[in-house]
Amino acid sequence: MGTIVEPWAMAENGYANANETIKGSSRELRHGRTAHNLSSSSLRKKSDLRLIQKIPCKTLKNILSNLQEVILGTKLTFLFLAIPLAILANSHHYGRSLIFGLSLIGLTPLAERVSFLTEQLAFYTGPTVGGLLNATCGNATELIIAILALANNKVGVVKYSLLGSILSNLLLVLGSSLFCGGIANIRREQRFDRKQADVNFFLLLMGLLCHLLPLLIKYAMIGKSSTSQINKMSLNLSRISSIIMLIAYIAYLIFQLWTHRQLFEAQEEDDDDAYDDEVTVEETPVIGFWSGFAWLIGMTLVIALLSEYAVDTIEEASDLWGLSVSFISIVLLPIVGNAAEHAGAIIFAFKNKLDISLGVALGSATQISLFVVPLTVIVAWIMGIKMDLNFNILETSSLAFAIIIIAFTLQDGTSHYMKGMVLLLCYVIIAACFYVDQTPQKQPKNNLGGVLSA
Amino acid sequence: MAGIVPEQWSAAENGNGNVTTKGSSRELRHGRTAHNMSSSSLRKKSDIRIIQKVPYKGLKDFLANLQEVILGTKLAILFPAIPAAIIGTYCGFSQPLIFGLSLLGLTPLAERVSFLTEQLAFYTGPTLGGLLNATCGNATELIIAILALTNNKVAVVKYSLLGSILSNLLLVLGTSLFCGGIANLRREQRFDRKQADVNFFLLLMGLLCHLLPMLFGYVASGETSAALVSDMSLNLSRASSIVMLIAYIAYLVFQLWTHRQLFDAQDEEDEYDDNVADEETPVIGFWSGFAWLVGMTLVIALLSEYVVATIEDASESWNLSVSFISIILLPIVGNAAEHAGAIIFAFKNKLDISLGVALGSATQIGLFVVPLTVIVSWILGINMDLNFNLLETGSLALSIIITAFTLQDGTSHYMKGLVLLLCYIIIAICFFIDKLPQKQPNAIHLGHQPMNNVVTGSGGVFSS
Repeated sequence: MGTIVEPWAMAENGYANANETIKGSSRELRHGRTAHNLSSSSLRKKSDLRLIQKIPCKTLKNILSNLQEVILGTKLTFLFLAIPLAILANSHHYGRSLIFGLSLIGLTPLAERVSFLTEQLAFYTGPTVGGLLNATCGNATELIIAILALANNKVGVVKYSLLGSILSNLLLVLGSSLFCGGIANIRREQRFDRKQADVNFFLLLMGLLCHLLPLLIKYAMIGKSSTSQINKMSLNLSRISSIIMLIAYIAYLIFQLWTHRQLFEAQEEDDDDAYDDEVTVEETPVIGFWSGFAWLIGMTLVIALLSEYAVDTIEEASDLWGLSVSFISIVLLPIVGNAAEHAGAIIFAFKNKLDISLGVALGSATQISLFVVPLTVIVAWIMGIKMDLNFNILETSSLAFAIIIIAFTLQDGTSHYMKGMVLLLCYVIIAACFYVDQTPQKQPKNNLGGVLSA
Repeated sequence: MAGIVPEQWSAAENGNGNVTTKGSSRELRHGRTAHNMSSSSLRKKSDIRIIQKVPYKGLKDFLANLQEVILGTKLAILFPAIPAAIIGTYCGFSQPLIFGLSLLGLTPLAERVSFLTEQLAFYTGPTLGGLLNATCGNATELIIAILALTNNKVAVVKYSLLGSILSNLLLVLGTSLFCGGIANLRREQRFDRKQADVNFFLLLMGLLCHLLPMLFGYVASGETSAALVSDMSLNLSRASSIVMLIAYIAYLVFQLWTHRQLFDAQDEEDEYDDNVADEETPVIGFWSGFAWLVGMTLVIALLSEYVVATIEDASESWNLSVSFISIILLPIVGNAAEHAGAIIFAFKNKLDISLGVALGSATQIGLFVVPLTVIVSWILGINMDLNFNLLETGSLALSIIITAFTLQDGTSHYMKGLVLLLCYIIIAICFFIDKLPQKQPNAIHLGHQPMNNVVTGSGGVFSS
């Protein structure tokens, strides 16, 4: 959920003052806004600081303005109510599926706020660290859910949720953006820069290779050797592949942040006045560094808490709602985690700024595939849990097809609504496939067979 | 080792052995193709002064000839491995040592063979020279494959051929693009897509020919008898091989005749002249070149015989599986010279040449050496089909797809090379950890070979 953030020269001076308003469309200031920043900013709203200005005490005023900025600074604020409700429900032992639903709803605004906070912090830390911060924390929700599920030894849920995130970014977010953008711009030609997209594709294909080989090993060796030996080989290969995937990810960061930065900068637009208003609000940090940092930690803890609830209650919710755990993990969880980016990508597609939508969707997919997945395997290794990269044939094939369909769709550098429609429908088909998959779940203690095999 | 086609210059076609034409006349440079230039990076100029002092003309010519051929490469230091390997066989050195020495000895021989075919091409004209280069360029792979066939080690054949294709597609290409990208960090690196595209669709056709026999095994589960399935697979493979050879001949016609302009090397600036001026005339006579070629091919055959005979012992002693040695080590040896050349040209931002070498080799092995091997095995009565089993075919498919996507926009940067290289490492690790016990391929009846593969859903270990 994050690509890189580059602060402007002004902000790098460490201005903590939130109240500079820079009107005008200086190209330098807008230069360096990358896809993710712009996308998330679409869900912000300007803080209305007038009420607070009336309060006499300065500290109180600062705290309140801080609070207002962070809590109320998004259109998703009303979902925040779900958080105390979820905590309440948990302590009073309300229905498990209710807890699950409330946790999901509560996670949505938190994910968006975390990306806001990392962006604010990036103003202070400089481009490189800011980029790394954004890249790591942008996927905080997926990462935390994955690690908590691992700790509960629910390796199936981990695999499904990570796969679902990649599929959701590739097909759902991208498809709906291209579709909406195509409908809105039906008379205009929609172009985007292929080079950005291409970098993501071959990284995704490399990730696919890493998933494919353990799968093929399992099928190739059936009957030729004992299952424990096959599992051991698959596990070793997965662990080494994860290290290699992380090396590729670090190289990708170097490529993106340093040597080929010019490939990834957002399109410079001409004088869309509508654009300036949004951009000027974000050009300076609105909260101080330490308060931002404190908020970030706090929100991460709350995310961890809600994720804990979600992971605990997922089976009961699945029983009650009549949906398989695989469906919930692949379809519902990622929709929640990606909601903010999703909305942003659609909005930018409406404005015919496809580079940004593509940057968000493809960048997220690459990050989850090349960073969160191998990191999870390595964390599992440290914890002594046997998680390999074998995501089973149905899931791996869906992933392979999704990557191939998108790579072909986007290879000519233009877009129209049919492309978006087809991607969206592919997502619906894959979701339907997992919806009808009602085979009984085994608790994933071993590496073999079944739908939930680890 | 691959060769694309060297084309003749009008001067050389007059059959003059010693014409020296300096300068950068476009006609003379026209027609240098990727392979020639790549191999030429490993040559060094012969120092003829010492020999001029020898009084006898015959002896002088002979020594000049020797020097040109034996010492004319930077890999000459590896030549002592050849006599060492031969001595080792007769004196009963350990098998793994003979294996290692043979591998080392094969490296300079492969490079010298490509040098000799290039020299001969000066005399034979473009078409014949092209054919010669195309055939002999892959001499090492072809000879290893046929020798392994005669020893009935069909698995080694399949693995080594697959490994050659993978090595060309991922290793050579990846390291070239990576080194080239790092060296040219600030420049935009472009190459001509059309050449690359021709290779890709030929490779995909080759992939189809491997895929269909493999799928037979999965489709016919239990209704049809295993012997029938393996028969079907074998017949399909043989027919496909004939079709692949037809495609290869068409590719040669396309490359040498009708669309030659697609494949000509870029016309480059003056730094080029030094390399080119050296190679523009043949440095050895036709018959001596021919004799050397035959001789070297025989030595390659001898060393390959040692390699094939000792491969299992080496694998046990070094604790690597036969599949790993065949897929990874043998192709690295066979391709070493081209590999170095491709990297050097990528450094100089001449990506068309690097791509031409890597992709051209892969196409030639995929569409020429593989079907030729199947047909040779048909003649020899050995049941080799095109079913390379699930893991290997899957790796091949994904390699072709990744490389095709990576190269489809006509530009390059170091990330592309790095990703291809890492993919190769992952595939290599996959075969490295595959430590299943190997069945001895000499002990099993011919008629039952593919059956085990097919019925159990095929494995990473060939049970031939």
